[in-house]
Amino acid sequence: MTGIVLALLGAALAVGLAGIGSAIGVGLVGQSAAGVVTEDPDKFGQTLLLQALPGTQGIYGLLTGFIIMQRVGVIGAGLLDLSMQQGLSVFMAALPIAIVGFISAIYQGRAAASGVGLIAKRPEELGKAIIYAVMVETYAVLALLASIMLLFGIAL
Amino acid sequence: MPIVEMKKLFLFAHQQERDMILEFLRDFGAVELVDLKESSAWDRMKDLLEPEQSAEELARLESEVGEVRYCLDFLQRLFPLQKSFVQQFTGAKINLTPQEFADYISRGDQIKELYGACRQIDEKLTNLRNEETRCHNMLQNLAPWAAFSMPLGEIKATARTEMLLITVPVDALSTLINSLQEKAPDHYLDTVFSDKESAYLFLIFLKDEAKQVQEILKEVNGAELSFPDIFETPAEAISSLQEKLVLIQQQKEEEIKKAQDLLKRRPLLMAYFDYLEGERAKKEAVNNFARTKSSFLLTGWIPAPKVSELQKTLAEKAETALCVVADPEPGENVPVLLENSGAADAFEVVTRLYSTPNKHELDPTPLMAPFFFVFFGICLSDAGYGIVLSLLALLISRKLKLGGMGRQLIKLLFLGGISSLIFGMLMGSWFGDLLKIKPLWFNPLDDPMRMLIVCFVLGFIQIFFGMGINAYRSIKAGRVLDALFDQGLWYIFLIGLVALAFPQFAAAGKWLAVVGAAGLILTQGRSQKGLFKKFFSGLVSLYNVTGYLSDVLSYSRLLALGLATGVIASAINTMGGLLARGIVGMIVMIIVLMVGHFFNLIISALGSYVHTSRLQYIEFFGKFFEGGGRAFRPFSKTTKYVEIGEREA
Repeated sequence: MTGIVLALLGAALAVGLAGIGSAIGVGLVGQSAAGVVTEDPDKFGQTLLLQALPGTQGIYGLLTGFIIMQRVGVIGAGLLDLSMQQGLSVFMAALPIAIVGFISAIYQGRAAASGVGLIAKRPEELGKAIIYAVMVETYAVLALLASIMLLFGIAL
Repeated sequence: MPIVEMKKLFLFAHQQERDMILEFLRDFGAVELVDLKESSAWDRMKDLLEPEQSAEELARLESEVGEVRYCLDFLQRLFPLQKSFVQQFTGAKINLTPQEFADYISRGDQIKELYGACRQIDEKLTNLRNEETRCHNMLQNLAPWAAFSMPLGEIKATARTEMLLITVPVDALSTLINSLQEKAPDHYLDTVFSDKESAYLFLIFLKDEAKQVQEILKEVNGAELSFPDIFETPAEAISSLQEKLVLIQQQKEEEIKKAQDLLKRRPLLMAYFDYLEGERAKKEAVNNFARTKSSFLLTGWIPAPKVSELQKTLAEKAETALCVVADPEPGENVPVLLENSGAADAFEVVTRLYSTPNKHELDPTPLMAPFFFVFFGICLSDAGYGIVLSLLALLISRKLKLGGMGRQLIKLLFLGGISSLIFGMLMGSWFGDLLKIKPLWFNPLDDPMRMLIVCFVLGFIQIFFGMGINAYRSIKAGRVLDALFDQGLWYIFLIGLVALAFPQFAAAGKWLAVVGAAGLILTQGRSQKGLFKKFFSGLVSLYNVTGYLSDVLSYSRLLALGLATGVIASAINTMGGLLARGIVGMIVMIIVLMVGHFFNLIISALGSYVHTSRLQYIEFFGKFFEGGGRAFRPFSKTTKYVEIGEREA
């Protein structure tokens, strides 16, 4: 097994795990939102916005995947032949966003779902509901930053 | 700033003109009525006034509305109105000319008759349905006994025997037979029918052995069955039940035909419903007024630009009306009306979805509009999709008459399509890679890092702009030092940090960052008491740099979404390309391409709208917007079913 396989595995995990996390998070909010909208269909727009919030981690995972793909040549100049060490390094670089994306998206989903409950009673406090959810995202951002910096620090 | 100035309106007039004035205000649609009982002047006025007596009238109106609604629901259940695909989102109203509407309203006496007819048919249908269910159940119970040749009425006891119809689980059948042989040998047992689960049997036994038979039945989980109302053979009963079912079906169809005759009166019901709702709104509005024996007073809010029009028209229509217009008192809960001109109007949807600005703020819509425009285009970034989206929006706006938020949303999508066209041309994306046209700038797929930097730069610009707005607010409120310390120092610090990343500016960057950080440490805690607390707060405030970092990184989603649209489009093109063999293949390919690209357009447009909005709300609005205002809700004509056309000659 050459390094390229590990590198691609890293990309796959970055996209896959972060995507799973976002899917679960967004789905959680969707369930809450559907409940609120049965009582008040006018809240659709606000709940849709809250539902979009946990989707960020999937996007960050995809972004990391793109960066990996571009660096190892999937996009552009043809697959590089990586040594085991290089491949393993890329794999490690993908881990922060993969793991943190996965878990933070689920928790952000829970926070946003509670936010949906907040605006059900107090629709004018949408801003506060959003802030509660977005606080969780800070850690996904930090993980993204770490992944990007690690990726650019590897000599390929 | 485009928050419209609101004035307070007081209107005195004679009671006789009250209805006419109310109808006029409803048409005018620009006055929000306020309940006088909640105003501060109420206590001083109370003793002069007579109470409103609209309670019974209101109740009567409400019961009439209930009747009309019942008829409409009844007709809707039997003959649902077909809504076209788009109408499912926007609602379907029938169009009437003013004459037709007036004609319908005059026929209010027909409502009672219609209501009676609907109720009759409804009850009949319910009864018929219940009968039907009973017959079906009976048929089900009788089915196993179809082969039984004895009339059920003859199943009764004789001098020394009893007869029973029983059912046992089919595995217990042999046990039953053996037990009966043992304990009650003088019996007659006939298996009428058995299936996978149960056996249905006819049993005659001696009265003296009744106890043993009951015990055996209990052992094998057998149960007695009886058909108390049926005296004929099962076969005869089944066929008469089936005849009855046919009859019921015929009767149901008759009733439905009767209902169908009523169907052509549905427009009358719809028009009358909207008319009654209008009358009810007016009666409820009257509850907000104060009245004496012959005059009344109403109060409300009116946008300042509309005042002169109101006064002029009122002077023409009403002899006794007197308008007094005043400025709102400080601390009053003034409603907020947004008015933006031109293209910025479309972006009001985005602001309103988040929160109405409170009356002290500026309207962020025109400031947010250019950013939204650009970011939407970058997220969707496909010229082909942009053209399709704009054309669709244009088509919808021509075909459907949408009001308020709907109209603004369609306009927003139209503008979004234009932006997508521009960025699609810049990035060389025409339905993905279907049309290979050279990008006017560069294709992000070739150089994603460059695009990422572009997104970060755009993010920086918007964040700095947001901070700038906050600084402007502080300066306007006279707090210049606040602006200098809270925004100015952060500008210096952040610019210094960014400059550190570029070798040629690194030295300058270092100094800027140090100065900025020092300034922040010294000033960010200035509202705290005690020197140590001030210093400590200042130090801790540097932590907010992670907030700014997180904000900038958030803009990387523009790149990700833009790339995602392009990659999915390429995948669709590849799939289509695989099928292009021969004439049939070409046709299939075209279908695949059309469906696939349309699907991608919808998904990507939705994602673009949501994420671009999210960027505005969190990264931009978060810097300066308070919100929490109350939206302006004028007393106006709203209809549920009917759209009344323009006044004809």
